[in-house]
Amino acid sequence: MELHILEHRLRVASIAKESIQLFTYGLIKLAFLSSKTRCKFFSLTETPEDYTIIVDEEGFLELPSSEHLSVADATWLALNVVSGGGGFSSSQPIGVTKIAKSVIAPLADQNISVFMLSTYQTDFILVRERDLPFVMHTLAAEFTILRVVNGETVAADDFGVTNGFVKPKLVQRPVIHPLSSPSNMFCVTSLDPDTLPTVATLLMDVMFYSNGVKDSVVGNEDSGHIRFFSFSLIEGYISLVMDVQTQQRFPNNLLFTSASGELWKMVRIGGQPLGFDECGIVAQISEPLAAADIPAYYISTFKFDHALVPEENINGVVNALQVSQAEKH
Amino acid sequence: MSGSKPDILWAPHHVDRFVVCDSELSLYHIDSAVSSELKAGSLRLSEETTATLLSINSDTPYMKCVAWYPKYDPECLLAVGQANGRVVLTSLGQDHNSKSKDLIGKEFVPKHARQCNTLAWNPLDSNWLAAGLDKHRADFSVLIWDISSKYAPETAVATEKVRLSAGDAEAGLVVTKPLYELGQNDACLSLCWLPRDQKLLLAGMHRNLAIFDLRNTSQKIFVNTKAVQGVTVDPYFHDRVASFYEGQVAIWDLRKFEKPVLTLTEQPKPLTKVAWCPTRTGLLATLTRDSNIIRLYDMQHTPTPIGDETEPTIIERSVQPCENYIASFAWHPTSQNRMVVVTPNRTMSDFTVFERISLAWSPVTSLMWACGRHLYECTEEGKASSLEKDIATKMRLRALSRYGLDTEQVWRNHLLAGNEDPQLKSLWYTLHFMKQYTEDMDQKLTGNKGPLVYAGIKSIVKSSLGTTENLRHSRSGSDRQADIIQYLSEERSLALQLCGWIKKGTDLDVEPFLNSLEQEGDWERAAAVALFNLDIRRAIQILNKGASSGKGDLNLNVVAMALSGYTDEKNSLWREMCSTLRLQLNNPYLCAMFAFLTSESGSYDGVLYENNVAVRDRVAFACKFLNDAQLNRFIEKLTNEMKEAGNLEGILLTGLTKDGVDLMESYVDRTGDVQTASYCMLQGSPSDVLKDERVQYWIENYRNLLDAWRFWHKRAEFDIHRSKLDPSSKPLAQVFVSCNFCGKSISYSCSAIPHQGRGFSQYGVSGSPTKSKVTSCPGCRKPLPRCALCLINMGTPVSSCPGGSKSDEKVDLSKDKKLAQFNNWFTWCHNCRHGGHAGHMLSWFRDHTECPVSACSCKCMQLDTTGNLVPAETVQA
Repeated sequence: MELHILEHRLRVASIAKESIQLFTYGLIKLAFLSSKTRCKFFSLTETPEDYTIIVDEEGFLELPSSEHLSVADATWLALNVVSGGGGFSSSQPIGVTKIAKSVIAPLADQNISVFMLSTYQTDFILVRERDLPFVMHTLAAEFTILRVVNGETVAADDFGVTNGFVKPKLVQRPVIHPLSSPSNMFCVTSLDPDTLPTVATLLMDVMFYSNGVKDSVVGNEDSGHIRFFSFSLIEGYISLVMDVQTQQRFPNNLLFTSASGELWKMVRIGGQPLGFDECGIVAQISEPLAAADIPAYYISTFKFDHALVPEENINGVVNALQVSQAEKH
Repeated sequence: MSGSKPDILWAPHHVDRFVVCDSELSLYHIDSAVSSELKAGSLRLSEETTATLLSINSDTPYMKCVAWYPKYDPECLLAVGQANGRVVLTSLGQDHNSKSKDLIGKEFVPKHARQCNTLAWNPLDSNWLAAGLDKHRADFSVLIWDISSKYAPETAVATEKVRLSAGDAEAGLVVTKPLYELGQNDACLSLCWLPRDQKLLLAGMHRNLAIFDLRNTSQKIFVNTKAVQGVTVDPYFHDRVASFYEGQVAIWDLRKFEKPVLTLTEQPKPLTKVAWCPTRTGLLATLTRDSNIIRLYDMQHTPTPIGDETEPTIIERSVQPCENYIASFAWHPTSQNRMVVVTPNRTMSDFTVFERISLAWSPVTSLMWACGRHLYECTEEGKASSLEKDIATKMRLRALSRYGLDTEQVWRNHLLAGNEDPQLKSLWYTLHFMKQYTEDMDQKLTGNKGPLVYAGIKSIVKSSLGTTENLRHSRSGSDRQADIIQYLSEERSLALQLCGWIKKGTDLDVEPFLNSLEQEGDWERAAAVALFNLDIRRAIQILNKGASSGKGDLNLNVVAMALSGYTDEKNSLWREMCSTLRLQLNNPYLCAMFAFLTSESGSYDGVLYENNVAVRDRVAFACKFLNDAQLNRFIEKLTNEMKEAGNLEGILLTGLTKDGVDLMESYVDRTGDVQTASYCMLQGSPSDVLKDERVQYWIENYRNLLDAWRFWHKRAEFDIHRSKLDPSSKPLAQVFVSCNFCGKSISYSCSAIPHQGRGFSQYGVSGSPTKSKVTSCPGCRKPLPRCALCLINMGTPVSSCPGGSKSDEKVDLSKDKKLAQFNNWFTWCHNCRHGGHAGHMLSWFRDHTECPVSACSCKCMQLDTTGNLVPAETVQA
């Protein structure tokens, strides 16, 4: 297995919902006019609380500085697990569960905070740049670590940090934070970048004018329904996460869907905003899923974390996690 | 191909058809345009070709890539890769065969939708179609579909979940289970099958190139690189692969896959297509975005990477088939170097990339040039005489006739040269006289003029200053005393000898010379020489004789008559008429005769500057009648004229001195005749002129010329000739045969001095002082190796039987001396080290290709690239 340390230096920011119009110019440019910027990594996730932006330094320049923009005070690097050149067994579980044991749990054991972003194409594990030596040391045993430099992968230098590392004792990781499961069903999808212009106005409507739609269409549904939409454009690949109602607004055959047309349900983690320093949150969720061999997507936002699991598994997942939660008490 | 950018594909087998694909597929048929008029509905592609639209297929939206079925039948089956990752088989035109009916409309659907980037049909098993898809977190990016696979029941179970349009599922045309899945959690941008094996697939993945081996899918060979776009195998060299990234093309050798063998110069704009020419080895065409040129890289000369250090040479060219930007291009599958390009607005152009022309002159006069697969020999139209006049032709013929090699009768060389050039004649006579005089001097051991002779008349005359005695003479035959003063000295008579007027010594008798001229029928010249020797009677007699001889000129009688009327009277009518009418005489000698008779004593310009009179006669005349000062001035002036003109007659004046080399230089500049220059300068040895770098340059050039003509024997003869005349030119031995035991040269004992053969150790038997031990090393007395054929120790002659007597050898050698000597030479293969007598080896390899040693399978003779060349002399003979 290979662990690629991507060259993007990322910022994580939050825009208050009511201030979004201040930033639409920059966001539209980042999302739809990527050839006009040098941005290679852009992700916008709308939650009921805020808009979370993950963007590389080049793209960050497109956003105006404003009091309505809260920025996490660190530069993040994206890690990407690739099956790589070595032998690959085809029985790997999908998504976050695949990397739960090999990446997320060891990092949690070392008290390294991670920020997750799953897309249609792959999973990115964001770590603080200052934690990188520890990350590399922790994962060196499991992975061939490669750095991407100018688009080419080269062997990463060993930072030579060996001191102060103690083998952590394996502890149970009960789920600490409260969980909730909204009623919407989601799909994770993508589309051909060439067809992006044809749905640009629709996407803008979904991204920036969701409030009005919510009032008229979704307002009369049950209160368990939440607003959640994620758009990312990373190295030319588009990934979309939206609920079924939103998906129906798109023309047929335009969005990429899996042949089985799978749908996903969400587990929201956190009652209070989680902050960036607490470790092990992803691990708490992903480990039980991995144990049950349930595929999942995991999207961290500025305030809360979100896991997507197949609709047919949602009850089992919620039960399992609640059991884990109960163990704590 | 996304909507606006059309791509173009030639049909792999029906070579008059191609497809242009953008949002739809359009099949065109290409015709040669016989008339200048266009048929209705056809498009002009070039001056010779037009295209007709046959059919359009717009069934498959969101096309991303297209690949043409590689087999002959069905004809127009295409695989189309779509934006959602589905691969659809479709067709153009009407194919009514059952096989294609089953296939058309078939869809191959990946588990998770994403763009299909590339398609590649397996060249060996045409049922296999590889599709390269974009990345999906949990899915594979390289799917290999079997187009013949049926809608399997096991996948039918899954259909309940599959939310496909019901129609597809019912028709049983959807395949969801690929034969192989490769590259999980990765993106595949380009694909090609490796011709080496049906199960080897080269893929440009997200950040690496990978070779998948379907026999063991858990293993792959890969190399990290950015250049992952458009992988394509050189059809002529299956280990060579091209790929690109943005503006840079990387060429890989699959045997040494760690890094690109070379990268081509980076283009400022990103590349869109890279393709090897299918009809010509090592020609790669590349196209960048927004460009109207196609760049061609000729890697003809770099079939293999030799080492890390050597940077292979690539010839870069570009062609501009049209004014507009080019959207795509396609090489014609069979027609050499032909391609069709298509522009974004779908105009097309058919053209042939012109092959680079390479040109070669042969050492003889023919000219060859190669263009593509054609080889042209050029012959000059018109008269053959221009070829004959060419100095190279002349030199070749002269070399064959052993020109320059007659060292005894030096003058004969001009006959060997064809007896057609008066300058050569003069030159060789001059050299002949010089040599003759030197030999006389050696015999008599008198005087020290020997070296002076080769320094030419100019130096001789200079040395004679002040030693001249005057002689008053009357023109014999006339009644009155005349005021003609003649000058005499030892040097002047030497000069006359060199001019050929008199023979050796101080004997001033010109009679032998006159007789020889009479024999040659050179009446006018003979008469003139007689007159210049103040013998009018003899002159008249010669003219009469000339007039009466077989093909004589009757006018000579008239001239004789005019001559007999000679009078000393200064103001006579005779003088007046002669001085005016003589200019109308055609023959320069006759003209000079009357000039002499009518001139004042001491001013003979009419004779001296009569340019058509041979230089030697004018010089001889000057030596007789000019005083020292005049003579010097005249010789000086004439010498400079000769040097300017490069006239070989001037060698008489300059001799073989630096002046002579100057003169020869302008002769060579004028004619290119290095042959004459080389032989002439060698004649003057031992002398400083041979050290002149110009002379060495001529000699080396002449030797090279002989080699180029494959006149190796002539070259050897020339070298022998040269080393006789110039011993310093002998090369030292460069090759020795050394003993296996002691390592000393076995030819050491043959001559006490270091061996001076011509590069080869010539170890003949005959004449060797250590004859009894020729089969052993003279150094350590161990036996020499045995000949692989006769099994006798080397050193024994080929022809003699073991223990053959001395007399046998003698007979042999006298019979065919040279051949026998060569037959006795050592020869061996540098590869297997077997060998023996040269004669035996030669006869063995006339009928065999393998080494004569029984267990050895070395193909010795084939390793010898020059072994099969035949000297040109023997071909001509």
